[in-house]
Amino acid sequence: MALRSLNLPGVGTKYEFETDKGDTVAIFFTKTGSIQMYTLQKNCNTPSAAEMSPVEARRLGNILTGAIIEADQESVEIAFSALADLRITIHTFFVTAAVVGKTIEDLQIRARTGATVIAVCRHDRNIINPPPTFVFEKGDAALVIGESDHIKKFEREIMVN
Amino acid sequence: MESLVLALFVCLVLALITKYLSIPAIPFYILAGVLLGKAGGGMLTTNEISHFFSEMGLIFLLFFMGLGLKPERIASNRAAVLTSGIIDLNVNMIIGFAAAYLLGFSLTESLIIASAFYISSTAMALTSLIENRKLMLRESDTVIWLMVFEDLVLIIILAIISAGNQNLVFFLIKILAVLGVLYALAHYGKEFLISILDRDDELPILFTFAAVLITASFSLYLGVPETMMVIALGVAFATTDPDAFEQHARPFKDVFLVVFFVFFGVTVDFSGGANWFVIGAISILAVASKLISGLLTGIFIHGSALSGLEIWANTIARGEFSIALAVIYGSPVVGTTIAAMVIMTSIVGSFTAKYSGLLRRGIVSRSRHKALMRRPH
Repeated sequence: MALRSLNLPGVGTKYEFETDKGDTVAIFFTKTGSIQMYTLQKNCNTPSAAEMSPVEARRLGNILTGAIIEADQESVEIAFSALADLRITIHTFFVTAAVVGKTIEDLQIRARTGATVIAVCRHDRNIINPPPTFVFEKGDAALVIGESDHIKKFEREIMVN
Repeated sequence: MESLVLALFVCLVLALITKYLSIPAIPFYILAGVLLGKAGGGMLTTNEISHFFSEMGLIFLLFFMGLGLKPERIASNRAAVLTSGIIDLNVNMIIGFAAAYLLGFSLTESLIIASAFYISSTAMALTSLIENRKLMLRESDTVIWLMVFEDLVLIIILAIISAGNQNLVFFLIKILAVLGVLYALAHYGKEFLISILDRDDELPILFTFAAVLITASFSLYLGVPETMMVIALGVAFATTDPDAFEQHARPFKDVFLVVFFVFFGVTVDFSGGANWFVIGAISILAVASKLISGLLTGIFIHGSALSGLEIWANTIARGEFSIALAVIYGSPVVGTTIAAMVIMTSIVGSFTAKYSGLLRRGIVSRSRHKALMRRPH
């Protein structure tokens, strides 16, 4: 799978690759801000196209990386193929009654699950790297990072109890 | 002032309608100018304000074109750009010039008409490739590079036209000197320029607007026309952060250019002795000659006449640059002819660009040509 990227004057950037089975996928980031994806089946001469907004394209990207997407909670999995296929998942959780009023220290999040809270979104403001003394409030959304087992453990042990 | 407000209002309505129907807006802006201007009872008249807006439109159009020209990109794609570019240039220039001259235009007028006849609309071609989702076709790359080549030729044509009575060699040296100075400024002031463009207050937009206008105003002292000055500025700025400059100059270009099209329409006078035979002949030839150059390009580059048909379908529309040439030259008869050609070709072009797939399929199913089994890329 050789990926080619090309700058097209006045249009935008093109990324194209051919799959092992001979199908071709091309992505264009146009200057108008939209993203177009073309797929061309082997031995066929008319490609089919889909146009996406940046948000839609990111969602598609998340689906393709194998992350689970739910209606209101979202997760992104990043795979580093060069580092022994290291996979890191970042997941958003809306805090449950079980954690409201408690600090990160009280909950012993890292010791119990291995996952780390790296940001909390509160009233449309983001708090990056909350300190151990950080107290969760109702309505917070927490961004948790870890391997997918850590994330599952976090969901089971911290959010439910 | 009322003229301008009326023009802006009409354009707003036209823009809404054309975007909704996804057809090109340029021919309708010009038609609106024609209908509301001389031909249609003089509701719109040109005055100092509209003149200033139109001039800004032209200046920003050319500044934008300069920003998009990145010499190193063209150098890296030389072979493909040159073959298609030279076919397109020769076929259309020769047909355009011969037609205009035989239809009774003077030598200089024929040259202007031939140039306007040759230059396809970059804006319409690129928009149609994106909107009709043709970017993956191999012919699209050819069309995109063809537009870059045409822009380069346009600069040379503009230089020749605007040299006027000056010694051409001396004139070219002056232009190169201006370009050199601007290049040096952009090169040594690169960090300063980028630090300005990175700010999120009024400074980036103010700077872009002022830089373009100040550069244009220097033309008075240097004897180099505004058009050349702003293209050179665009080319020089393209070495810093062209995307940021495009973003900051776009609002000016979008508004002023629309006004430019409308008031160009106002100066067009179809009622005052326009020769309909000449106008019709030029317009039809404009569609036909791109067919010839398109087919030749398709055969030479992609080895398929059908590819040529696709190239043709996307390059029929003449637009902004043809009108710019008409305005810079400024003869009413030439302007009227070019206006009619732009309106005709851009309307025909929008249909061919949209339905070229059907056209190709129609031909394929009838002749079952072997070349069609080959897939693009």
